[in-house]
Amino acid sequence: MATVGEAPTLFLRKATGLVKGWSKFDAFLYSFMSVNFVTLGLFFAFSVLAFVPTGQILPALLISGVFVSFLVVTYAGLISVMPRAGGDYVWQSRVLGGGIAFVLAITGWWFILWYWAPIYGNILNVEVFQPLAAVFKLDGVSEFLASNNGLFFVCAVTVLLAGYLVSLGMEGYAKIQKFCFYVGMAALAVVFLVMLFGSQSGFQNAFNEEAANLFGASGDVYSQTIEMGTVNNGGPIVPELGFTPFFGPTLLLVPFLCFWILWPNWGATLYGEVRGASDFKRVMSGMMWGLWITVGVALVFVFLADKFFGWEFFNAANLNYWATVYGFGEATMPVWSYPPLLASFYFHNELISALIILAFGAWFLGWAGTLFLSSTRVIFAAAFDRILPEKVADVSERRHVPVWALILMLVPALIVSAFYAYTSTFRTWILDATLVIAVTFLGSAIAAMILPWRKKRLYESSPMARYKVAGIPLITVSGFLTAGFLIFNLYHWFTNDLYAINDPDSLVFMGSMYLLALVVYVVAKVVRKSQGIDLGAIHKEIPVE
Amino acid sequence: MPLGTLPGLRSGGPRRKIPPVKIFFVTDLHGSEICWKKFLNAGAFYGADVVILGGDVTGKAMVPIVQRANGTWEASLQDHRDTLESEDAIVEFEKRVMNRGYYPIRVSDQEYVAMQEDEDLVDKRFKEVMLDGTERWIAMAEEKLAGTGIRVIACPANDDMFEIDDLLTGAQVVETGDEEHPITLGDFTMVSMGWTNPTPWHTFREAEEPELATRIDRALEAATDPETTIFNFHAPPYASKLDNAPALNPDLTYVSGGQAIRPVGSTAVHDSIKRFQPLLSLHGHIHESKGSTRIGKTLALNPGSSYEEGILQAAVVNIDEKKRKVKNYQLVNG
Repeated sequence: MATVGEAPTLFLRKATGLVKGWSKFDAFLYSFMSVNFVTLGLFFAFSVLAFVPTGQILPALLISGVFVSFLVVTYAGLISVMPRAGGDYVWQSRVLGGGIAFVLAITGWWFILWYWAPIYGNILNVEVFQPLAAVFKLDGVSEFLASNNGLFFVCAVTVLLAGYLVSLGMEGYAKIQKFCFYVGMAALAVVFLVMLFGSQSGFQNAFNEEAANLFGASGDVYSQTIEMGTVNNGGPIVPELGFTPFFGPTLLLVPFLCFWILWPNWGATLYGEVRGASDFKRVMSGMMWGLWITVGVALVFVFLADKFFGWEFFNAANLNYWATVYGFGEATMPVWSYPPLLASFYFHNELISALIILAFGAWFLGWAGTLFLSSTRVIFAAAFDRILPEKVADVSERRHVPVWALILMLVPALIVSAFYAYTSTFRTWILDATLVIAVTFLGSAIAAMILPWRKKRLYESSPMARYKVAGIPLITVSGFLTAGFLIFNLYHWFTNDLYAINDPDSLVFMGSMYLLALVVYVVAKVVRKSQGIDLGAIHKEIPVE
Repeated sequence: MPLGTLPGLRSGGPRRKIPPVKIFFVTDLHGSEICWKKFLNAGAFYGADVVILGGDVTGKAMVPIVQRANGTWEASLQDHRDTLESEDAIVEFEKRVMNRGYYPIRVSDQEYVAMQEDEDLVDKRFKEVMLDGTERWIAMAEEKLAGTGIRVIACPANDDMFEIDDLLTGAQVVETGDEEHPITLGDFTMVSMGWTNPTPWHTFREAEEPELATRIDRALEAATDPETTIFNFHAPPYASKLDNAPALNPDLTYVSGGQAIRPVGSTAVHDSIKRFQPLLSLHGHIHESKGSTRIGKTLALNPGSSYEEGILQAAVVNIDEKKRKVKNYQLVNG
């Protein structure tokens, strides 16, 4: 019952679109699956720590988490100012202009995801196919999967799987993602329990036995792994755990971690109608929880890996894997030292190992659809803006599948996969894929920074206008810090050999993607002008008075 | 015969001799005053001959500005509580409220409490503010567009109470149409229908698909030639990608955090477009589903709506009268 003096609330009538928000858990879930600890995290971040031997993972994790939090605030702010705009392309086009937005977003969310297909494929290979083949001692299959043909096969499977998930539609995929979350978390819990209650000596014995059983190794393979790591690294391989007053090269770990942790905004959630600041907080908290629970899981993993595998062994095994990939050394295992696979050795049971690996596959399945979903949206948005032909936004009549958008993703992704599988140079080139998406995020961070001035009315009518830091709009502050963080990472990716993505050919190659986007935009502008359509008019504001 | 009963001439006012070829179409303004003002300026801005508001004219929320016992006024907007200490502050606040598409209402403490406890009082007040708001918009249109040669059309749709129909019909400059009253645009005929298939909110103009089909058939009695017919049906065609909305649970929360998108348009509308193949089919209703599509030869558009942010999403359509086809179109954010 209302009482005199309480804060007035608005009266709503029954009208279309008046929803009651969404559960925080759902918002968390999609963010959590985007900063996927098992796929990107274990393979692209935690497997490369040994490359910075004196870097400290714990502070690096926390520093990355704090700065990615600014990214979260920035994106939540953009969502609350332009709720239904639907992402980087539309935000940037409204603030920075259609041309810049098209070039940045189309490159970052369309072209570059062709190159992510082999990255996804590679993860499917090392986290699902190869461990399963190893567990069942299918040597022929293992050989095939390690070959160029095998790599192409796995990439093709990934591309087709991602295409299929998109064709299911968002509702179908959302259900699959939720299912995958539960299965993946259950599997993670099992492995964490094994790591918590199992002893390191027990693991050493299990590893030695299974290495002999599965890979034909002999002797103390555990110690051999560490020795081999020292040789491969040309010195001690132990990155330090814990804090010291001086971070030393710890910050160098951050760009590695950003291969994984930079994406909590990937599936930014919808924003309701006739709502206010509470929705900004809700959007932000969903992504923030996704980010920080992931950071928490990672921290727990680090402590458990230290306890159960031994931090030195864990890093040596990973380093040895990369030594075989890049050809600068050898390894004791013919497959990547995938932590769930290692932990499953504790059971000395092939079936249990296989079940654990398959259950961990849920982390991949719940993530694979993200490969093309965002691209489809950007392609649609560009078609609706008449930059791309309207045909590319067609959906099939019977199953409502975005046929042309999928073709524009699948065909180039398959071609790229073939290049990836059969030419080693190409593998280095495409590592810049992360860099390109970070550049797109940088565009949005800059758009967020200047939004309160560039789109004053829009900003002032939004809930974000209430949030200020020392009199400066919060979205400007968070945009500035996000931009700074992204520039820090980009600088290191561009200039430091450590990250293996500053290959000049790679930069030229990725630069050509921007050029391609620019050419598409210019051609579209000319063609549309001849048809009487001014692309520059899309975001021109009509005077009010 | 009074003017209002002639097909295509429901209201009086000046008419252009030259037939219109450039259409500026918006939808779902839902009471956003800033969007309405932009809408009235859009004809001159884009060089359009006719500006059309396809449906859902009125707002969804009232924001009470409560006078406390000590004489101060208090209100909340976007979860932020404001104390308004002067008439200027109140007027400024009211403007902000209207720009978002809500209706500001000044009430005493006791009135506010009474309204919280009595839905009828709320309904009554809603009716008053919606009618007042519509009247004010009509007056603004008269002032802005009378004598300019730019035609302005506003049609009611599912979220509009029936009482606004009479106001629109009686307007001088603003024209309106529905299933019974097509609107002539030069050589073209625009048939309108604001009714939609059922929604979870049980709004004013909803009907099951068979009834919608009957209404569409009735509307099409005035349309003889598909090449010169324009549909202005508020509900978008089913599964056309102009009708993708977040799936909702029975308690009106988003399924899967809003990630689960499903088509919610009308099959009757889809069938009618497929069967009749009008030159152009204009839609709205699903704000987040801005887009364009082809159904057979027909170009179907939903410009979407961002009324709360004051962004006027619109479709600008050039029609080649001679060839009787859509020359070009563009979805804009004005």
